[in-house]
Amino acid sequence: MARTRATKGASSTAKAEPAKPSSTSAYSLPPEAKNPPRFFIIPKTATPAARIVTLQNPRYAKPTRYLVCPEAGFFEFNKITPPKSAPRSWLLDNARLEGGSKGGLDAQVASNPELYVATPIDPLFLLLPALATTEGCKSGDDAKGSKKRMFLSSDDHFDAISEPGGHLVDILAWPSAREILVSRMDAVCASVEAGDEQMYRLSEKRLVEEILSKAKRMSEKGLPKSLEDKFVTKALEAPILGIRSKPSPSAESKSTSESSTPQADGADSQSTVSSVETSASSASEASTVATSVSGDSGANEVLTSAITASEEVIKLQRLRIAFNFICSSYIAPPLAGQLKELVSKSSSVDFTPLDEYITQLAKLRQEAMAARAPDYSRKRALDDEEEYERAEKRRKKEEEDKVKKANQSRGVKQLAKINTSGMKKMSDFFKKKT
Amino acid sequence: MEKSILSLSSGDAPKSTPNLLPCRINHNGSIEPVDSSFWDPQTGDDGAKTVYFRGRKLHGITVKLPEGYRGVVASAAPKVEQKKSTFGDVEVVDLMDDEQSRTPQGVMNVQAEFDEMVVWGHESTADASVDPYVRGMEEWLTLADQIHTYPTAKK
Repeated sequence: MARTRATKGASSTAKAEPAKPSSTSAYSLPPEAKNPPRFFIIPKTATPAARIVTLQNPRYAKPTRYLVCPEAGFFEFNKITPPKSAPRSWLLDNARLEGGSKGGLDAQVASNPELYVATPIDPLFLLLPALATTEGCKSGDDAKGSKKRMFLSSDDHFDAISEPGGHLVDILAWPSAREILVSRMDAVCASVEAGDEQMYRLSEKRLVEEILSKAKRMSEKGLPKSLEDKFVTKALEAPILGIRSKPSPSAESKSTSESSTPQADGADSQSTVSSVETSASSASEASTVATSVSGDSGANEVLTSAITASEEVIKLQRLRIAFNFICSSYIAPPLAGQLKELVSKSSSVDFTPLDEYITQLAKLRQEAMAARAPDYSRKRALDDEEEYERAEKRRKKEEEDKVKKANQSRGVKQLAKINTSGMKKMSDFFKKKT
Repeated sequence: MEKSILSLSSGDAPKSTPNLLPCRINHNGSIEPVDSSFWDPQTGDDGAKTVYFRGRKLHGITVKLPEGYRGVVASAAPKVEQKKSTFGDVEVVDLMDDEQSRTPQGVMNVQAEFDEMVVWGHESTADASVDPYVRGMEEWLTLADQIHTYPTAKK
């Protein structure tokens, strides 16, 4: 980003641009470290016995690094990386080292700006791939499409997710970690006792309850702002019906709907509109439908939100977002789909008010769209599409040209520059003489 | 390294403060000797930090790590002979030793610890609502706690 070598001071070069120390510098750069330092944020509860291990990622079925502590439990690593547009690097200062007793640490830089944050993860999710597997099921009633999972011992379940490269086996050797895993398995499984062993089978119902309770906890404390803004406020925002006195019908109604609609950015007075709208929706609790499409031809602009979400609807939306978030982060797609279906049928939560609201909202949005001048909206929509098509065509053509050029020999290329007008075509020589 | 079980070396690590610079430095490792003329952050009256880095004025904000978390600077240690794992239970240690024949063990050397870091930005301080580091830590850590707590009493 910054051109750090604008001035080439001899002394400063050595420090800030260590890769290329100038020969006149008074400082020489120590050799590059073979193992660059990495930056972690780990919970204080993790004991020294904690290990960084590779386990199968429950969502993507790929080996992933986890931090496992026999006492504190399981943690996943979240990598924070800056966007490419704003590169970052670490500089570790030595100035604030405590006392010289330990010899301290050199000041260091690390070009890799990643920060690994270890956050707790419910080991339940790690177990799910094993529990939800459909392999080794009774295949007898396949035709009915209802595969029945077998009751298996916890060991058998563990075997199912023990990848050759994974370290689950090693973790299972720790009694406390094993205890945690088994207890989590117990929480979502139906179990029977067979002899002296406990056998487990995944119970989708219990799993849904478990995740739902997590989602509830998440939504009650309030979703993080970015989630809340994007998926709750925006998703429930109703189109604004602004009635102006005279101007062309196209400007009358504005939709501040989701950003997926291409028109959302067109309105010029959008910022004021949305602020009015949000305050209105949070203030009023009743979900009354004020379809103020009536020909209110007052002199000044009237802005009304067509519909406001009630407290209950907002709560339900939060809960649903939380649930979907958990599903999409930690659960493999096929199982997540099943769970979403199950939760809509679940008796503990009734999503009907939310669904009703959303269908109503969709209708209103459509109406608002229709209220705009049709040619106007269509043109915009077409523009986007056309532009995309044009870009695609251009790209293809460029590619073709490139291939053509690459195949041309040098001779042909040079001859192509010669002005051939007035010369006989080559084919002339091969014509039958008349 | 990718395949081995890593442990974090314990012991007293010096406290330090990592600085997240708004540029890429193509070097890893020590940059001694550091002179105060090269890196000399100043804290203003209002807690705002400024530093001149290669002639460019940077503004920084201090980001405190959330409760219950600590920062660790660690690097993979060069291969050393395997230490015995530090479990109290003798039986477990034996078991682990059996496993060691199959699973390579590694150590991450903890070089320093930190409980706050400074995020630097050009011309202006990093915006907390946009900066991925600030947001990632603040939002995600609280959220993760909410999602992943589970009753531990169950046996």
